[in-house]
Amino acid sequence: MQRLDRHHLLEFLSRHFIWVVLIATVLVFGLTIDGYLRISNITNILITGSVLGVMVIGQALCLMARKLDLSAEGTVSLVAVTAAWLMLPYRETDLAQAGGLGIELDPLIVIPLILLLGTVIGFVNGFMIMKLNMNFFIVTLAMQLVLRGLALAISSGAIMPGTPAAFNWLGGGRVAGIPVSVIATIGLYAVFGFVMSRMQFGRKVYAVGGNEDAARASGFSPARTVILVYMVSGFLAALAGWMLLGRLEASVPNLGVGITLNVVAAAVIGGVSLKGGEGSIIGAFAGVLFLAMVNNALNLMNVDPLWVNAVRGLIILVALVIDAQKSRYRGRAGPAEPKVTTGAEPNQKPALS
Amino acid sequence: MGRKDEILLDMRGISKSYPGVQALAEADFSVRRGEIHGVVGKNGAGKSTLMGVLMGIRQADSGSIAIDGSALRHASPQTMLDAGISYVPQHINLLNTLTVAENILVGNLPKNRFGLVDWKAVNDDSAARLKRLGLKLDVRQPVEGLSVAERTMLAIAKALFNKARLIILDEPTAALSRVDIDLLFSFVRAQREQGVAFIYISHHLEEVFEICDRVTVMRDGRIVGTREISEIDVPDLIHMMVGGGVQEYQRETTAGTETVFEAKSLSRRGAYEQINFALRRGEVVGLSGLQGSGVDELAQALFGLERLGVGEVLVDGGVFDPDSPRDAFDGGVAYLPQDRHRFGLIQLRPVRENVTYSVLDRLVSRLGVLMRKPEQQITETYIDKLGIVTPGAEQRTMLLSGGNQQKVVFAKLAATQPKVLILHEPTQGVDVQAKVDIFNIINDLASQGVALLVISSEVRELIGLCDRILVMYQGRVTDEFTRAADNMKPEDILLAIEGGSGYAKA
Repeated sequence: MQRLDRHHLLEFLSRHFIWVVLIATVLVFGLTIDGYLRISNITNILITGSVLGVMVIGQALCLMARKLDLSAEGTVSLVAVTAAWLMLPYRETDLAQAGGLGIELDPLIVIPLILLLGTVIGFVNGFMIMKLNMNFFIVTLAMQLVLRGLALAISSGAIMPGTPAAFNWLGGGRVAGIPVSVIATIGLYAVFGFVMSRMQFGRKVYAVGGNEDAARASGFSPARTVILVYMVSGFLAALAGWMLLGRLEASVPNLGVGITLNVVAAAVIGGVSLKGGEGSIIGAFAGVLFLAMVNNALNLMNVDPLWVNAVRGLIILVALVIDAQKSRYRGRAGPAEPKVTTGAEPNQKPALS
Repeated sequence: MGRKDEILLDMRGISKSYPGVQALAEADFSVRRGEIHGVVGKNGAGKSTLMGVLMGIRQADSGSIAIDGSALRHASPQTMLDAGISYVPQHINLLNTLTVAENILVGNLPKNRFGLVDWKAVNDDSAARLKRLGLKLDVRQPVEGLSVAERTMLAIAKALFNKARLIILDEPTAALSRVDIDLLFSFVRAQREQGVAFIYISHHLEEVFEICDRVTVMRDGRIVGTREISEIDVPDLIHMMVGGGVQEYQRETTAGTETVFEAKSLSRRGAYEQINFALRRGEVVGLSGLQGSGVDELAQALFGLERLGVGEVLVDGGVFDPDSPRDAFDGGVAYLPQDRHRFGLIQLRPVRENVTYSVLDRLVSRLGVLMRKPEQQITETYIDKLGIVTPGAEQRTMLLSGGNQQKVVFAKLAATQPKVLILHEPTQGVDVQAKVDIFNIINDLASQGVALLVISSEVRELIGLCDRILVMYQGRVTDEFTRAADNMKPEDILLAIEGGSGYAKA
C-alpha cells in the first residue's frame, strides 16, 4: 500500500523536531547573548541541567508507560532531608537552622539507604496503581504531599547545612575539571537509552504504554512492568535528591518544589508523548538541554523574575500543543475505512452472507 | 402519501479516497419518497463511507447531492439534519436515566408560569406526539427500562419529531429477537405509509427481503446495482455482493488422529456448563453461538484472561489451567482476539515489535539484551510467509490496512508455535483478498499440525473451513455438525445457533 510522502515528512519532523529547535536555540542565544557560549556558562547550563536531567529519565519512563509520577519531587526533598538528618551532628533547632539526628552516619551507608528509600516509595506507588487499581494521578499527587510533609516535619522546616564532602562529591565534585554530576547524568542517559531501545524491559514499557490490554494478551504482565517503572522513577528521584543536596551542601525546606512541571515539559519537548507508547531517551535528553539553555538565557538576559514563569509556562504549553497535534494527525492517518462502521459488530447474529 | 415514487434523495458520482484506498468511486445512489431502501455489501464495501457523506460527516472528493430536486452546496452534519436526513445507529444514543418524555422534549421542556418545568405538560405533550405515530410507550418510564426495539423506535420517533424525511437505520435488528423485529418492522412500515423514506443497512439478507422495497448492492467502493426487491432473489443478491470471480473457499481436511486438546466437563457459573470437546492435531473446528451463549467467555478463559472454572482441560495430555496469556502461550495455546484494536495490536509500535512481543523471552541474551538478528529474521519470515503488505518491518502497525493488521496478529501468535490456536472472528473487518489470505494461513497452520478452534458467526465461511462445527446455546454445546457426516447445512446450523434444534431435541 502506498503512503503519502507528506506522512513520512511529518513523521520525520515529529521525531527529530527537537534537534532542529535545539540547534536554532544555540545559534540564536549564542549570537545575541554575550558570553553565552563561554565554557564557564556551558558548564553552568550542564550543572543545572543535570538534576533536571536525572529526574526526566524517570518521568520519561512513566510517560512512555502512559503514567505520570507527580511524587518524584517529594522524593527529592524527603531523601535530601533524611540524608542530612542521618549525617549531621545534633544541635538545637533555632529559627534558621536545624541539626541532624546526631547519629552521624557515614555517607557510604546513607547513600544506599536513600536510594533504597526512593525505590521503595516507587514500589508503593506502582503497587497501589496496578494492584489496588488506583488512579496514578491521584496516587502520586497524594504521595507527593506525604513525602513533602515528612520532609518538613523531620527538618522542622529549617535549613540543615554542612553535609560531608564525600557525600557532596556527586553534586559538587569535579573530575579533570568536568563536574561529576554532568558525567553521571550523561552516563545515565547512555544506560537508559540502551535499556529502552535494546532491552526487553524497554520493549515492555512501550508496549504497556501503547496498549495495556494488548500487552497483556501478548504475554506481558503490565503490573510488573509498571511497578518496575515506578521503582526506577523513585530510584532516580532519590539520586537527583542526592545530587542536589551535594551541590547545595545543605538541605533546604521545599527542595525541588514545582520542578515536576519542568521535568514533564522537558520530556514532552523531547518528543515523549503524554499519550504513552513512544518517545526516546535521547529525545528527552535534548528536551532537557533545551529547557536548561532557555532557563540560563532568561537569567543572563536579566529577564524580570516576575516574568520568568510566564515565559516558561508558555514554552511548556507550546510543547503540549505540538504533542496533541501529533496524535491528532496520527488519528487521521489511520486505515482507510472510517471508524463509523456500519459493518458487522461483535457478536451480531450469524448471517448467511 | 400522495407523492410516492418521487425521488427524495439523489446522489451522483460520489467519490472519496483515503491514502492508498479508493473508498467510493463514482457512486450513484437515489432513494424515493416513502420507500425502504436496503444497502448491502461486505465490510469495507463502502457503505459506511457513503452514509458518512450523506450525513455530512465525510466530505466527498467529487459528486453532487440533491434533496427534493434542489442541489446541496455544502454538506455538513447540520445542513444534512436541516434537510431532513437522520441517522439511527446500531447502538442507540439516548439519555438512559431520563424518562421517555424527557428524551422526546429534551432541550425544549415546557415551563409553567414560575419558570419551572411543567411535568404534566411534558408527559401529555410527549404522549400525544407518540400517539400520533402509533407508538405505545409509557412516557414516564426511564429509557433504560425499554427494550432495544423500543429504544430504536423511540430514536426513530425523535428523528421524526425533528422533521426527518429520510432515516438511516444501521443494523437495527442485530440485537433483537424475532418478536421484537416484527414489532420494529411494523412501526417502520407504518411510517413508510406516511411518506417517510428509510435506508436500511443490514447483513441479514432475509430481513432485507422482508422489509425493503429496493436494494442497492455495494462492492469495493462501487455501486454494483440497485434492484426492485421483487425482481431479485437471495442467490442473485449474494452473487452481486461477492462478484463473479470469487469462489467459495473449500478446504481439504488435514486432521490427524492424535488428540491435542481436550475439555472435560468445563463449567463456570453464569458463563458455560458441562463443556466437553476435543481437538485433534491438524483439525479445524468451528464454534458458533449467539452473544451470551458462552462462546466468548469460553475463549477468554482458555487464554487465561478469565477464570476457567471447574472441570479440566488437557493440552497434549498435560493439565492446562492458565492464569494469564503468558501461561497460555507457555502451555501451547494462543488466541486471536475478536477486538484486535484493543487486544491484538499496539498500534503505535512498528510491525517488527508487534510480531515478536509473544516470543521476546527467546530473543534475549542472558543479560536481557534483545538480539537484533533473530528478531529481524522472525519478522521478515512472517511478513513474507503471511504476505503482510507493508513498506517495511519498521512501519507503525496503525498505518496498515485491516487485513494486514490481522496478519500481524497471526504472525505474533504463530511465532509462539502453538499446539492449539483459537481464532475469534478472524475475518471480521478485513477485505475479500485478505480473507482468502487468512483462509490460506489457517490451512497452512493446520497442515503443520496445529489444532484450530475457529469462533465465527460467518456460517458459510465455517462450512468451507472446518472439519466440524460445534454450536453453543445458553452455555452448552448443543449441536455438532461434521463434514464426515455431510450434515453441515447452513440453514440447519443457523437454526441451531438460534436455539432451534436444541428445543427440537429436548
